[in-house]
Amino acid sequence: MDAVFFAQLLFNGLAIGLIYALIAVGLALVYGVLRIVNFAHGEFLMLGAYAMALVTPVLGLLYLPSLAVAMAITALLGVVMFELLFARLKETDFERSILVTTGLSIILLHGVQWIFSASGRMVDTEFGFAGVEIGDIRITATRLAAGVVALGAFLALWLILTRTQFGRAMRAISQNREAALMVGIPPRKVARNAMMLACGLCGLAGAALAPVYLVQPIMGQALLFKAFALVIIGGLGHLQGAAIAAVILGVVESLAGGFLTIVWQEAIVFVAMILVLLLRPQGLFATRIRVG
Amino acid sequence: MGALDRLTGPLVAAGIAAAIALPFWAPSPYAVYVAINAALFTVAAMSLNLVYGFAGLLSFAQLGFWGIGAYVAAIGVKDLGLPIIPAFLLAGAVCAVVAAGVGHAALRLNRHSFVVVSIAFTLLVLTLARDWTEVTRGALGIPGLGLPRPFGLTPPGDSYYVALAFSLPALGLLLVIARSRVGRTLLAIRQDESLARSHGIAPRAYRLFAFVVAAALTGIAGAIFVFHLTIVDPLILDIYYMQTFLIMVILGGMGSFWGVVVAGILMSILPEALRFSNDLRMILYGLLLILAVTFMPYGFAGWLKARRGEVWRRATPATRLPAGDA
Repeated sequence: MDAVFFAQLLFNGLAIGLIYALIAVGLALVYGVLRIVNFAHGEFLMLGAYAMALVTPVLGLLYLPSLAVAMAITALLGVVMFELLFARLKETDFERSILVTTGLSIILLHGVQWIFSASGRMVDTEFGFAGVEIGDIRITATRLAAGVVALGAFLALWLILTRTQFGRAMRAISQNREAALMVGIPPRKVARNAMMLACGLCGLAGAALAPVYLVQPIMGQALLFKAFALVIIGGLGHLQGAAIAAVILGVVESLAGGFLTIVWQEAIVFVAMILVLLLRPQGLFATRIRVG
Repeated sequence: MGALDRLTGPLVAAGIAAAIALPFWAPSPYAVYVAINAALFTVAAMSLNLVYGFAGLLSFAQLGFWGIGAYVAAIGVKDLGLPIIPAFLLAGAVCAVVAAGVGHAALRLNRHSFVVVSIAFTLLVLTLARDWTEVTRGALGIPGLGLPRPFGLTPPGDSYYVALAFSLPALGLLLVIARSRVGRTLLAIRQDESLARSHGIAPRAYRLFAFVVAAALTGIAGAIFVFHLTIVDPLILDIYYMQTFLIMVILGGMGSFWGVVVAGILMSILPEALRFSNDLRMILYGLLLILAVTFMPYGFAGWLKARRGEVWRRATPATRLPAGDA
């Protein structure tokens, strides 16, 4: 086995795994707080990427400011969608929430496709095609930046969830809804904040992916289904579990892509999910089975 | 018994007669093409209705069975040299066996996980269709399929009768199941699982039965559909089909038989009227889905029923109680 090739795959896998983790964590957060599986989550990723594609030329190709604007736009859209649709759904309406978010996903996907056409677009940034060399390994700057941004986002998310009232309220609601109500945590407001945070993170992931991947309307869907599988593997509503599973998947996929056939690269996550469901239905990292 | 109930028998007889005579009164061959879609989509939607509307399981696996049926029949005819009817039966049988295996595992989970597993199953089928090129030919697909032409009518008249010869008995079977003790038990389980359990009903066996029957019928419908198209490729697993089946069930009314039949026919015609823009059509689908789920959770049939209940409730005190008795 070629060590340089291996390390190259490892680094690429880590970067993409961190992006997967941003998507999956948002999905797990919304499930934990709202008890909704958001089928339109992938479309927020796509919207983040489109926001990046539209904003970057305006801001003179500056990377970080464009990223911040794209994230703010998707976070705001998350709040709007919450007020319009999600706030009307009750916790027991599980299937209905899937149908409503499926409808939203169709509208967002085809709305963007109608306005911008289905063809992909490239996003240029200040980094261009520059790369960073560590020994014999070469990583493109945009890929490295995506990894660093994702790591920074996780640090910020961890601080928010553990050190601020804003985040602690979310954890409280997802751990024990009745007890959270009893100590006076307003569920509706916290749910809105969770949607804002989750959509912002997903938009950030999309914006960071934009210079690495081709930006097109369907980009969210494929990633969303992987994120579903990751959330199941990690344990429904379990944030760390989803994040760890995501990073592992990124690396394994990258290695499988290098050493096995393409079939394995795509199928690995679903096979893993089916195995987890058969052997440990509560997910790899959850300690108890959620009833419902 | 409302006027609608008394009219059901004659209406259905007239509908079946009109359907059988359709190639002779249809304005154009194109209308017969649309009718073929309507016949097959309605069976797939009604199968989804059995699983979701009756058994209470939101299953995206229907799309996977639609695709498996299509591929099995195509491979049966092209590679195994089977005659067409045994190939269709094989498609149904394979779907039933796969459904029994998947259902056995997935029904151990809660409703939430079941939905996600059903999606993962369909994505796995799509991956196989696209990447298992030795068997499925990958993105190129398997061309050169075709339905038999026993009567030698103007195309697509014969294909229409093949589709109808499957759809009418299939819908009849689903109607019998829906009206039987099994159908009523499934509805009871969906409405209150704990109560059903306390009456000694084991939900899993009933749900597995619904899942397997729906898979077999959806598989055969998918098989006839691709033989009508003359080619099967991974596009048969396009999420568009699933969305269409879902909208038919939601608009028609979960757990309602005739509601879904009417919605199946209407929602096969409507997209043809909106051919000018695929994206606008899908946006309309999304809006319909959200509006129906939000404002008519039991579809048009449920809305109608609720309204009739309202009229009945308002009329009762005046008609039942003699004046001065209260």
